[in-house]
Amino acid sequence: MLDGGIPRGNTVLISGSCGTGKTTLSLEYLVRGAQVHERGLFLSVTEASHKIQQNLATFDFFDKRLVDDGTLTFIDVPVLYEKLGLSKQEMTTEDIDLFVGAVARLASDLKVQRLVMDSITSVCYRIRHEEEIRDLILKLGKSLSDISCTTLLVSEIGPQENRYSLYGVEEAIADGVILLGNVQRRGDLLRTLKIIKMRGTTHSRAQYVLDLTPLGVLLAPYLKGGRGWEAA
Amino acid sequence: MPNVAPGEIAERLRALPEGSGVAMKLGATDYAGNYLQFLAATLRDFGMEANAYTIYVSVTNPCILVNSLLASLEIPSDRVFFVDVISQTMMSSLTKLPNASYVESPTMLENVMLRVEYFLRKNTATRRIVIIDSVNSLAIHNDPAILSEFFHIMVNNLKSRGITTVILAVAEETNPELENLLSFVCDDTIQLGVAETEPKGA
Repeated sequence: MLDGGIPRGNTVLISGSCGTGKTTLSLEYLVRGAQVHERGLFLSVTEASHKIQQNLATFDFFDKRLVDDGTLTFIDVPVLYEKLGLSKQEMTTEDIDLFVGAVARLASDLKVQRLVMDSITSVCYRIRHEEEIRDLILKLGKSLSDISCTTLLVSEIGPQENRYSLYGVEEAIADGVILLGNVQRRGDLLRTLKIIKMRGTTHSRAQYVLDLTPLGVLLAPYLKGGRGWEAA
Repeated sequence: MPNVAPGEIAERLRALPEGSGVAMKLGATDYAGNYLQFLAATLRDFGMEANAYTIYVSVTNPCILVNSLLASLEIPSDRVFFVDVISQTMMSSLTKLPNASYVESPTMLENVMLRVEYFLRKNTATRRIVIIDSVNSLAIHNDPAILSEFFHIMVNNLKSRGITTVILAVAEETNPELENLLSFVCDDTIQLGVAETEPKGA
């Protein structure tokens, strides 16, 4: 689908409404990387990382030793905020720089090649202006790309929104957008995945049905049945 | 097309190259008897000899029933995995088998593909067989166009990986549209206990 995978150093939005598999897909991306000795960092903004690790343990592909030996690191962003003194509800331009610098330093110190921020939307909630959101993603993407780190930014959108991020600016700046969603066909709700854009590689433009199995994310072509059954 | 004797089914399957698609047409008269002969020949005589894993997509009957039939035929269940597509739709109290995965509705054809894929990835034995029981049951719940698309993708995917697909059909209940579908995706047809009459019209 991606002609060899996400190009190294790209910043990719994983967009979708709740329950579409964004976190699982992102976690699997980290774990699969760790299995081939690429260090990964998961920055959890909304959910406690120990809970995420508990959920991860239900998947066959996860091996806790990857966490124990430091190949995979989980960090709670609220803890990071506290350490940086970013306890105010609203982030200023200086705060954004401080936050981006801290994430880049973490990635560099830990020598990570894959990073997930779940979710970028929750970080953006604390930013008032669209220009500052653009600034955050540009700076974050650049600083991580400079150390050859591929970044997945989880983006939460409503179930029927015709865009890929809450503020609409994130998708313009990101190198790639992978959209997860639910499609209704004759009353059945199917989880779907589409690659909207991916700089640096040719990619599929077809829609796939996704299943979250103990072996990880599996995909099958979305069946059209010779006519336009469409999303509700 | 002539019927085969039950004892010849395994031999016919053995003669096929790996990755073949086979339409297994069973006669409606004494369907239960024909079905038992099919199970014995395919899963016991052929499957056990070939040391194969079988992934059985049960649409006609709940997998718990098929599993009990396998037990009565002394076919060990440790090499059989079920993708049960009907039990949840029936809304009956569900006793889940450990070797089964349940799809909520026979209309969720992509999920059938995905669960088959799941079992194929879990069991990487060299010889694997996928049985779809049956094209007629799937046709009750799905439009012909989407059903054709499903079989085209699924059987060709399995063929390309050397996995044999056996598609069950009730001969007398198979209309020309389904006949066309089967002849399009299958390399061979095996017929058991079919009365020598013309198939029913569309």
